[in-house]
Amino acid sequence: MRGGFLWRNRVLLTSGALLIVSLHLISTGVRPGDLAARPESAFLEIVSPIDAAFTRLSDGASSIVTDYLDLFHVREENARLRNELARVKSDRARLAELEVENRHLGEMLELKDVLGANAVAANVIGSDATGLSRTLILASGSSDGLRPGMAVLANQGVVGKIIAISPHASRVLLIDDHNSALDGFDQRSRARGIVAGLVDDGLILKYADRSQDIRIGDTIVTSGLDGIFPRGLLVGTIIGVHRGAPGLFLGVRIEPAVDFRQLEQVLIVTQPPPHLDDSGKS
Amino acid sequence: MRLILLFAVFLVLGLAFESAVPHMVSFRALIPNLIIILVVDLGLRHHGVLPAMLAFAMGYATDALAGSHPGLNAFMMTMVFVVSYEISTRLMVTNALVGATVVFFGVIATALATVALADGFSAHSHTGALLPGLTLEAAISAIVAPFIFSMLAASKRMTGLPVRPMRE
Repeated sequence: MRGGFLWRNRVLLTSGALLIVSLHLISTGVRPGDLAARPESAFLEIVSPIDAAFTRLSDGASSIVTDYLDLFHVREENARLRNELARVKSDRARLAELEVENRHLGEMLELKDVLGANAVAANVIGSDATGLSRTLILASGSSDGLRPGMAVLANQGVVGKIIAISPHASRVLLIDDHNSALDGFDQRSRARGIVAGLVDDGLILKYADRSQDIRIGDTIVTSGLDGIFPRGLLVGTIIGVHRGAPGLFLGVRIEPAVDFRQLEQVLIVTQPPPHLDDSGKS
Repeated sequence: MRLILLFAVFLVLGLAFESAVPHMVSFRALIPNLIIILVVDLGLRHHGVLPAMLAFAMGYATDALAGSHPGLNAFMMTMVFVVSYEISTRLMVTNALVGATVVFFGVIATALATVALADGFSAHSHTGALLPGLTLEAAISAIVAPFIFSMLAASKRMTGLPVRPMRE
């Protein structure tokens, strides 16, 4: 009935019901393959080609701007020379880009050789849409053999793990996200801890005992005990050790080995590292 | 149906922009929060069950490309819709200035609430560091909002949808 309580408050009641649904989703979590994960996966699939097109478009636009600025300073020269210059510059930029890409892929291949054959390369096509979390969007998905939980690496070190997937795209939770954690240790002193991200952009080593000999400049590598990242991969370098931190543990800040903003290609480990047996041997 | 299609197109383009551009811009705070602007427009100008569901769906779609807790953005966008709707029903006029103000506070409130919900009280000590960047992002979003509202209004006129709020 149009004049009734339900009709008059239909917007607020609907919104209230939707808020309860979203709180239920947050509290229970959505596992890959769940009914609730399907719209998310479908949307990732829809947006990823547009995302990739935006990335290509902005790459092209920046190249055009650079070319225009260069040409502006030589406009006194004749048309033939300008065209020649533009063509040469364009070729050079393209070759430089190809060289960089080639170098990246070469480094990826080296890393892939080290890891064995169980790795897949993927292009980065976007980052987190809200900026409140640190995630990346890759142009490869389940059709390329990727699954949620797989480790993502770059030639410089550990990048993160896959958290969502669609047939042709996937999302990676970076290790510096505040919801990320991985098992690592100091390569020099062998002190173990959990590498976790911070809300305000940074990486720390949690639960490192105060008695441990951890120093600035030490290297943190993965332990392989989390069952996701292979052992011995570079995570970062210690840039701060706070012994007066409150609580039982040291305050250790880490500089990530990977510059996540510069990532163009990554490598996904499609087979998890061997698990430790009960005696602690792999 | 026209409303769904219109907002779906704006949503897909907005999300593609928001996820592609930050990868090339070193300072994330310079990129406006386009999704909140769309939801505020829905709340201010479209009163009904469908717009409420649309706001939820837009948040859930954002979850596909942002964050690690599915449902978090859906919750936040529904909240922004409810607040915008309540403001719209109480004010005599809901112009671009009102919209920009709601967008400004909406960006800050949703970001802080998102961090608090996702991280619990452990995030409390770090939220202060987020505020300068957040305020800048909110200000840029508020500046951009009137342009997006006009683009939406033009698109609505083209598709025959009401531009002014339908008072209940």
